[in-house]
Amino acid sequence: MDKLRLLDIFRQMMLIRRFEEAVYDFHEQKLFGGHYHLYIGQEATGAAVMASLRSEDRVFSTHRNHGHAIARGVDPKNALAEILNRVDGTNGGRGGTFHLASADAGMPHTSALVGGAVPLAAGAGFAAKLQKSGGIGVSMFGDGCFEEGVVFETLNLALLWKLPVIFVCENNTPGAILKSQGGNNTSNLPEGRVIQIPQALGMECHEVDGGDAVAVDELFADCATRVRATGHPVFIEALTERWPGNYFSFPSMVTGLTQVSMAWDGSAISGEHEDWFKTHGPVLRFARDLIVNGVGTFGDIVGIDVDVTETITSAKEFALSSPLPETDSVYSHLLAGES
Amino acid sequence: MAVMTHAEALVEAIRECMDEDPNVALVWGSLMGVGGNNEHVEHIKEDFADRIFHPPISEAAIAAIATGAAMDGVRTIFPMGTASFMFRAWDQIIHEAGEAHYMSNGAVSVPAVFHVVHGLRGGGSVQHSQSPQSMLWNAPGIEIAMPSCPADAKGLMRTAIKSNNPTVFIDYQKLNKRSGEVPDGTYDIPFGVADIKRQGADITIVAASLQVVHSLEAAEVLSGEGIEAEIVDLRSLVPLDEEAILSSVGKTGRLVVVDEAPPRCSVASEVIATVAEKGMDLLKVPPVRVNRLPVHVPANVALEDFIGPNTDRIVEAAKQLCS
Ligand SMILES: Cc1ncc(C[n+]2csc(CCOP(=O)(O)OP(=O)(O)O)c2C)c(N)n1
Ligand SMILES: [Mg+2]
Repeated sequence: MDKLRLLDIFRQMMLIRRFEEAVYDFHEQKLFGGHYHLYIGQEATGAAVMASLRSEDRVFSTHRNHGHAIARGVDPKNALAEILNRVDGTNGGRGGTFHLASADAGMPHTSALVGGAVPLAAGAGFAAKLQKSGGIGVSMFGDGCFEEGVVFETLNLALLWKLPVIFVCENNTPGAILKSQGGNNTSNLPEGRVIQIPQALGMECHEVDGGDAVAVDELFADCATRVRATGHPVFIEALTERWPGNYFSFPSMVTGLTQVSMAWDGSAISGEHEDWFKTHGPVLRFARDLIVNGVGTFGDIVGIDVDVTETITSAKEFALSSPLPETDSVYSHLLAGES
Repeated sequence: MAVMTHAEALVEAIRECMDEDPNVALVWGSLMGVGGNNEHVEHIKEDFADRIFHPPISEAAIAAIATGAAMDGVRTIFPMGTASFMFRAWDQIIHEAGEAHYMSNGAVSVPAVFHVVHGLRGGGSVQHSQSPQSMLWNAPGIEIAMPSCPADAKGLMRTAIKSNNPTVFIDYQKLNKRSGEVPDGTYDIPFGVADIKRQGADITIVAASLQVVHSLEAAEVLSGEGIEAEIVDLRSLVPLDEEAILSSVGKTGRLVVVDEAPPRCSVASEVIATVAEKGMDLLKVPPVRVNRLPVHVPANVALEDFIGPNTDRIVEAAKQLCS
């Protein structure tokens, strides 16, 4: 067991959590418009997946991309600036919350169209194969993507053409309120499970508890090594319990700001979301495991939280002081070769 | 006359048509962004439960299912939400729905309704802000309706449902909460009949959907400066009421066309081309297009406002033509 690696994954998870709390705060303050999506509840998956990636790998994400970008190494200050649509944002402010991406971080483009990220990642696998870069394509996508035909086409192609891609389906339907009962989108399959679709095609498939950082890390690290060696695609379904704040279409901080002390002090836990604090919330869950397994101390956990909270506080200041793009900038970069 | 919102008027049209015709079915995502808080939505849910289908995220397949069912007389209303999502179903709408009647030499028809909300929505960013009207207009065989007010929304939706052609109903989220007078009882508004929303002798402004609202606001400003604008609300692009456009231009001699698609090959381009071909001599000065700038839609709301056609830009264009 690599203690430093695990603590680093925890640090990423904590950073994502504080980042998302900041995004929520900005939205409450009406500092950015429109719809948005938070990654709370899925931090273990994103942080553990990115821990095994290298600079030559490419990650493609969705509308729920914040955690992927942070764990991939995007500086939170540029990510927050992007969410406020400022010039120092990862996309110069023109993408916003739906589209955090950074070519420098190996995350070239983020599609907010359901299913969009899946073939793009296969494209990165295609390029890696042609260029013998040793890289792999990684698609992070929601279970809803299986409702779109292009996802089936991509799985089939990845097998036919032997593309080095890892498809990470983050299934956050467990615990969700069905759309027909007024909740937010969840996937709709008649009986079966999404994993049976790539299985039927003969793809190597794995299921993992997406709220368990260690399990995701071990599985993904192993898959990444093999995909690099064989060039064959792999599918992973990471199941996570839905964060109650994501029951409805707009996020709501129903579980309050995270108190890491809940990991060792159960007396602070009560009320409607007790179950979330005690068993599901991946940040508290991992903090608890780290302590129980002797990987980290209370002091380590609190220290990491203090650190990342500071990072986010200064990232907020940075984002707020970054200017809005000039109106004339709307004309730039329509076509390559023009300014 | 009752006063109701655009959304309520639309839902009322759907309810009436479902009442009148057991062959009308509805795909129920979030009904056109209308929400659940009005009596008609509840009424539809309860009374027509067996004709309502909950959609997975499968725009292409649902559009084609609606098309296939339409060939047997089932009139499916498929609200796809944000118009950007419709691109997933482009093939099915343009090829299958739009071509079947022609390909069958008239034997088969496709009475399906595809409803979308288009345009700048306040932070929709690049992939949630499309205006597909002119791209669709370039595909023969599809009717296109674009209402600007509750009364028209109701009458045009009824026509869309009853029409034997595939109809793309291009709506606007920003219109949903606007109120207006709606005639009592059932009534249809035929496609291809533009409505003069305001009379004026100095300049013609042609628009559809939300741009009619902007044009009416612009007309008030212009009136304060002694310019009387005539507002021609197209209401449908296919069929197009060429006569209404030409007769208004015949009266004013000046033409501004407002549309949210980027200017090249846009609705504005097509209207102006039509006037150039059929009424060049009516124009006293060259006409002007007011479109979204020819760029993608940035996330930033201030930049979104900057690239969009808006009241100020319409006023400016009109004043230029009248100077
Ligand atoms: C092509 C397309 N259709 C519809 C939407 C609207 N939409 C945004 S997110 C979403 C649900 C996605 O569910 P899932 O992929 O499971 O991701 P989750 O939000 O659960 O993380 C839908 C339907 C979209 N963005 N793109
Ligand atoms: Mg999901």
